[in-house]
Amino acid sequence: MTAATATKAPPLAYQVMAKCSTTKARVGNLVLPHSHVDTPVFMPVGTQGTLKGILPDQLLTLNCQILLGNTYHLGLRPGTEVLKKVGGLHKFMGWPRNILTDSGGFQMVSLLDLAEITEEGVKFRSPYDESNECMLTPEHSIQIQNVIGADIIMQLDDVVKTTTTGPRVEEAMHRTIRWIDRCLEANERDHDQNIFPIVQGGLNPELRKQCVAELTKRAVRGFAVGGLSGGESKDDFWKTVHVCTDLLPDDKPRYLMGVGFAEDLVVCVALGIDMFDCVFPTRTARFGCALLHSGQINLKNKQFEKDFRPIDEDCTCSTCTTYTRAYLHNIATVESVSSSLISIHNVAYQLRLMREMREAIHKNCFPDYVRGFFKTLYPGELPPGWVCDALKAVGIELTVENKS
Amino acid sequence: MSRKIMNFVTEKVCQNSSAKSGKFTKDSSSFPTPLLLQTTKGGSIPHLAKEVYEYVTTDQPFLQISLSNTEQMRESLDAFEKGIAKFVGFPSSPTFLVMKSPTEISPSGFNEGGASPLFGRKGKELLTPEKYIKLVEVFQPDMYHSLPDSDTNIDSSKKRLRKSLIRNLDFFENSLEIHKTSERLSKSMFFAPIVGGFCKITRTECVKLMKPRFSDVDGFLIDGLHNNGAHASKLELSSLKEIVSHTIEELGEKEKPKVMVGAYSPLAVLEMIKLGVDVFDSSYVYIASKNFKALTFNFDLNTESKVNEFALDLSDPKYKEDFSPLLDNCTCLTCTKHTKAYINHLIVTKELLAPILLMIHNTKHYLNYFEAIRKSVQNDNIQEMITLLESQVAEQDIEDSFEGRNSESDQVEAKKRKLAS
Repeated sequence: MTAATATKAPPLAYQVMAKCSTTKARVGNLVLPHSHVDTPVFMPVGTQGTLKGILPDQLLTLNCQILLGNTYHLGLRPGTEVLKKVGGLHKFMGWPRNILTDSGGFQMVSLLDLAEITEEGVKFRSPYDESNECMLTPEHSIQIQNVIGADIIMQLDDVVKTTTTGPRVEEAMHRTIRWIDRCLEANERDHDQNIFPIVQGGLNPELRKQCVAELTKRAVRGFAVGGLSGGESKDDFWKTVHVCTDLLPDDKPRYLMGVGFAEDLVVCVALGIDMFDCVFPTRTARFGCALLHSGQINLKNKQFEKDFRPIDEDCTCSTCTTYTRAYLHNIATVESVSSSLISIHNVAYQLRLMREMREAIHKNCFPDYVRGFFKTLYPGELPPGWVCDALKAVGIELTVENKS
Repeated sequence: MSRKIMNFVTEKVCQNSSAKSGKFTKDSSSFPTPLLLQTTKGGSIPHLAKEVYEYVTTDQPFLQISLSNTEQMRESLDAFEKGIAKFVGFPSSPTFLVMKSPTEISPSGFNEGGASPLFGRKGKELLTPEKYIKLVEVFQPDMYHSLPDSDTNIDSSKKRLRKSLIRNLDFFENSLEIHKTSERLSKSMFFAPIVGGFCKITRTECVKLMKPRFSDVDGFLIDGLHNNGAHASKLELSSLKEIVSHTIEELGEKEKPKVMVGAYSPLAVLEMIKLGVDVFDSSYVYIASKNFKALTFNFDLNTESKVNEFALDLSDPKYKEDFSPLLDNCTCLTCTKHTKAYINHLIVTKELLAPILLMIHNTKHYLNYFEAIRKSVQNDNIQEMITLLESQVAEQDIEDSFEGRNSESDQVEAKKRKLAS
């Protein structure tokens, strides 16, 4: 889309529709160029322009409103030339709703051994031609994302290992702030693509505070919390999220990158996060694992050989209304269609979990929902300590009911 | 035979050829012939969730189930008790159970003693007629055939053909006896596999020896022509016509359905229909899809002799920036919503969606092809259709283009299984 065809309305409007009176959870209406999004939202990951094994039409049936794409992969294949010619990723993959793309920096640092970060950008060797040294600068990342054309795009950030401590963490935080300015400057499609800055600062609350203070001075329409979900302790994880959501403005959406386990989602919604993404639900499906409120089950397990119930009796997805656990047991990991079938269920599960939380917040009974959720997941026992601590910090006490 | 759930009637025989139309009926559904069975892997139409198959057509598929890739489900099915169709999520679909998967090369050998080898997921299992029928009972198919020895092809020696003939006859007689006493299979149609490779004498003898039991047989499988996989699409057409024509003449039994299992090419299918064969399966569609081919041949007699490229190889880099649909005017989901460039990208990145999108288009194309064939049989102009197909096959050697990494991996797979057994 060019400036000429763009509408006057800002490319992002966010409105809080309901707030939990106990926790920091909120329901929002996020309006993006391609469609609206009900938050809190889980965004399935379609790395290479497809959610593995699922048709865009099936995602519409599941009422998925936003997908994530990976800039690093898409920049390599199909490449910017193809995407430019077709007019962006939405058209290329036939997806009429919203897309969010990452900056490509995280993949570069995590996938490539030879990546090196300098003030200019991320220096790396081409994975297809080792002798060829390339540089991904903040400007370059935005240029690629402008071609991909996602509704929300991410700034290039200075990624350090979550468990890193010392001056490198502080350096990364400051550099991330310098890079957001270069990204905003480079964005040629501010009228229809929203750059989210990324809050960095490791596990240090003081650094996170400084980072938020700087980022909120910029003209941005939403924020991401980065540098988590990378091997830090669960205590450090929730406390850092808690600090960030306390500091970030209420009138803008908050995206917690790379988080998608059901219990993390419930805790982080309570802490005030609005957007999530994770490859886990679809990746685990390909190994035969299905998600339920009572935990995940591996359908390969012998115990399902004669289990003629659907994966989840309460689920209305096409897999649960058509197939039994026993059938899926027989084809999981063997027939390629099993990846599609279990992925459909797992995406449906994630979307349903978010919908249930939104409904509970609307009805102002979110704390009850959270208690019920953990009672189902950990029957007769308390959830792990970090879950109890995190929820206690936002006013929900979890108890084990006396067995009568 | 009225106690069967499934029935077959011949409705029309052409004047200009032996092509005929008819229909299978089950409950209130009917399935017109010439009929395309949907081949399955592990009970599913390859790559397609039921939800996705319903994007292709709302007509119930008539499923072909292969024991070689479903035998491991027997414990589940035994406990389930409601048969394979319901188990695989197509409760109202009829099923035709075959022993070997037509989509993969079947391992050869182990044709000794009173048993026939079933090559399953965990290796080889020797099945006597008793064991075989017991296994079939668990599946509760609407149609199945007696335990065969059809391990022959165009290159088989006289000795092998002879052995196949004798063993197949023995298995047939024993299977039929057990079938007649089986309560659970009393409603299933029982098919006789006619074997004999490409040898007319053996075919004649096979029919002659089985004929006394034909009154108990509901249909015929013209078997023993190939060892499955893409190979079936490459059979030399004149030899195939000659042997099938001879077999059908010897058979007589004009009222009973005749089935050919395997990835026969679209043109071969037409020639076989012209000779009086009623039922085929979609393994050609699956093999084309997994070799990244999109079927684009024209079968519309009403367009003024439009000659299309027979099939497109979507892995070809020339499609990288081709934002057109696989086939102009095709109404399938793939063609209405996606482009060649996108499918090429999905192939290059080895994404699961590539074979899904190709299966959607190819399945729709082939179902439409069969619809056109049935019309052509009604209009008694099957030869015109053959001429149209011939003009396009000449454009491209489809058989050769099937020689891909997958047919190779089929062989590797078959070898591995042989080693494992």
